[in-house]
Amino acid sequence: MSSYIEFENVSFSYRDEEEGTVNNVIKDLSLKIDKGDFVCVLGHNGCGKSTTAKLCNAILIPDSGRVLIDGIDTKDEDKLYDIRRKVGMVFQNPDNQIVATIVEDDVAFGPENLGIDPKEIRARVDEALKQVEMYEFRTFEPHKLSGGQKQRVAIAGIIAMKPECIVLDEPTAMLDPRGRREVMKTVKMLNEEFGITVVFITHYMDEAVKADRVIVMDEGKIILDGAPREVFTHIEKLRSVGLDVPEATELASLLNRHGVNIRKDILDIDELLDCIVSLTEDKN
Amino acid sequence: MSVTVLETENLSHVYSKGTTSQVHAIRDISLKIEKGELVGIIGHTGSGKSTLIQHFNGLLKGSSGTVLLDGKDIWSDKKNIRNVRFRVGICFQYPEYQLFEETVYKDIAYGPKNMKLSDEETDKRVRQVLSFVGLDESYLEKSPFDLSGGEKRRVAIAGVMAMEPEVLILDEPCAGLDPKGRETVLSLITSYREKTGSTVLVVSHSMEDISKIASKVLVMNNSQLAYYDTVDGVFTHSSELYDMGLNVPQLTRLFLKLREKGYDVPTDVYTLEKAGSELLRLLGKGDIR
Amino acid sequence: MISDITIGQYYKENSLVHRLDARNKIILTVLMIAMIFSCKNFISMGIVALVVFLSVLLSKVPVKMFLKSLKPIIPVILFTAIINMFYVKGGQEWSFWIIKITEKGIYTAVFMAVRIILLIISSSILTYTTVPTMLTDAIERLLSPLKIFKISVHSWAMMMTLALRFIPTLIEEIERITNAQKARGADFENGNLIDRIKSLVPVLVPLFVSSFKRAYDLAFAMSCRCYTGGEGRTRMKQMKFTLKDVISLLFFSASFAVIILINKQFGALI
Repeated sequence: MSSYIEFENVSFSYRDEEEGTVNNVIKDLSLKIDKGDFVCVLGHNGCGKSTTAKLCNAILIPDSGRVLIDGIDTKDEDKLYDIRRKVGMVFQNPDNQIVATIVEDDVAFGPENLGIDPKEIRARVDEALKQVEMYEFRTFEPHKLSGGQKQRVAIAGIIAMKPECIVLDEPTAMLDPRGRREVMKTVKMLNEEFGITVVFITHYMDEAVKADRVIVMDEGKIILDGAPREVFTHIEKLRSVGLDVPEATELASLLNRHGVNIRKDILDIDELLDCIVSLTEDKN
Repeated sequence: MSVTVLETENLSHVYSKGTTSQVHAIRDISLKIEKGELVGIIGHTGSGKSTLIQHFNGLLKGSSGTVLLDGKDIWSDKKNIRNVRFRVGICFQYPEYQLFEETVYKDIAYGPKNMKLSDEETDKRVRQVLSFVGLDESYLEKSPFDLSGGEKRRVAIAGVMAMEPEVLILDEPCAGLDPKGRETVLSLITSYREKTGSTVLVVSHSMEDISKIASKVLVMNNSQLAYYDTVDGVFTHSSELYDMGLNVPQLTRLFLKLREKGYDVPTDVYTLEKAGSELLRLLGKGDIR
Repeated sequence: MISDITIGQYYKENSLVHRLDARNKIILTVLMIAMIFSCKNFISMGIVALVVFLSVLLSKVPVKMFLKSLKPIIPVILFTAIINMFYVKGGQEWSFWIIKITEKGIYTAVFMAVRIILLIISSSILTYTTVPTMLTDAIERLLSPLKIFKISVHSWAMMMTLALRFIPTLIEEIERITNAQKARGADFENGNLIDRIKSLVPVLVPLFVSSFKRAYDLAFAMSCRCYTGGEGRTRMKQMKFTLKDVISLLFFSASFAVIILINKQFGALI
């Protein structure tokens, strides 16, 4: 299978002309993401994960190396809007990405920009709002919604453009637990039911656990890459870059150290629960 | 002996009173906060926790009921409500958005200046709180807008601490920070309390964060006070907390589920150590040494 | 609560006037204003008043809403009336002390007052029955021929829409910052004018900083959603002229014709 997003030896730096400083954010990064994958990118603030997101849809262009989206080089200016149509982006602050004063008008904004037929737009807007379970709020004003609801409207605005991939840059950082659950559920559904490739940037471990693949970044480089089950066994390494480990994984590892015959690659409490139940049954 | 510093009696706040859209933001809250205590206030968005804290420093006035600071009604002298704000300091959510001065020094000094403190006293306080939040003096002449997100947050918190309030209230001090940043902020809060002996209230929707630092927990639900007890005491209601839309720590949920399955385990577990030793006991492996 | 804010003065109702095409409503309002200004005597003014009154009834917006929108204008109405009363000469004269009032002066004063009141009511009908975004949309579409003069009507309308979108967000932000500074002892109520202006700095600086950040984020988000300006854009909500629009337009035109006739027939008052 050919990869959908491909970074080839990408480097990127922000330059501050006034101060004359250069901040190398991404260093010789190579990465392949397959179509239909759900990838979580983890890392502490300032590790380059947001920059990676912005490189995916040509908001930023690499200083050296190249980024290919479905085979198109993001440097190719003529293809800029083809890329943005393929890769939709959701940002951290839901307030700063909603354009219209009515929910359904906002969802229509993207398709309108693409010059789609009005009837088709209506159909897409209704469908997108139903998918994120915001259809009954279609005539609401955005400022009367909760954070999680606003973020789902923003997601609807992207899926109404029928992208093949969605990149979400810390979409849950400003939300409460309920909003976080809503957003994660929505994104997971889009990936599973519609085969949309998802790149989900976060620093919450409990969200990363739900991905097919976790990429951990530090100082512009990938330091861990693999299935969550594999990545989270590296407790010390994750700690050293300022990240947490799911408590279930940590507890399993602690039990293991104390001579309990339990797998170390446990991801959530339900798995841990099953293991403990079977262990006690063995004992009896 | 414990001394009550902050107290509410039947405090209620009603929005749009008398109209059909009348809403109780908080309803009949009576509580006592003891001096030197670190109290966590939890509740989901819209539970009334933010409204409640704004009554503590007189930013809002209850529709009925009273707020007592050191036994005195804060509204007994309306003209002095500003003094109440110096004694009960609130640091709001995303406090970095309140920074406005050219330098970190001036910004932290804003509160003390409003208190009409002398320059020497202000200077002393600015330097002291800067060390409380773990920044060195090289920051004093920097522009607050050039700092990183986590540093801005700490400067903003220092700005409230500089007023040396008897009660310091922090609304979601860890919102939006990464795990490392969260840990830094939580530890600076505990060390501030240890060093100054002040009363601290921390608002959050994360039980996980609160359980790490607080001695008592106040739970708000549907505008009402649901629980007000020690951390252990509140955690015995873990399943109710989960139903209120709160994030109960994973470990606690594990023990709740074990209990459901008929195992003899406690349900007030929220630290890794305790969880580990309980499970080892259950599995017959002795204790953690 | 802050989330109750509704921008503009849209009054939610499902009346005939609400359902008219927004572009048509703008044209009708312009026609109405033209009619009001072309009235030359009380008979024509009476007919215009009748048309306005009919529109108010059809809009189903309560009369007290219109009174509310008139309230802030009362001083202007009184001022205009009084000026006219004293300065217009002609007809019978009455004088007390040093004041001299003429018959024509009184007529003109009343006439002017009625004219202003009708102007306010007719523009209120437009804003009460049309959602603000529909209004900016309609203006954009009506003015789109200006494109040939290289005037970017689309950008202007887009800016209006964004302003409407962000007003509630910014109000919330101001409230948040004000509370944060009050908690640090800011005093917005006391002191002289200079003190009060100074006390706004701690609110305005953070407000501007965050507004710039918002603008920057928004521009990114819009370009990520393939926004390139008005060129090649389609609209989900199409505006359609229906029979009721044609009828209303014809009715207004007819009224205009009647007014011109009456003006000719009965002569001018002023």
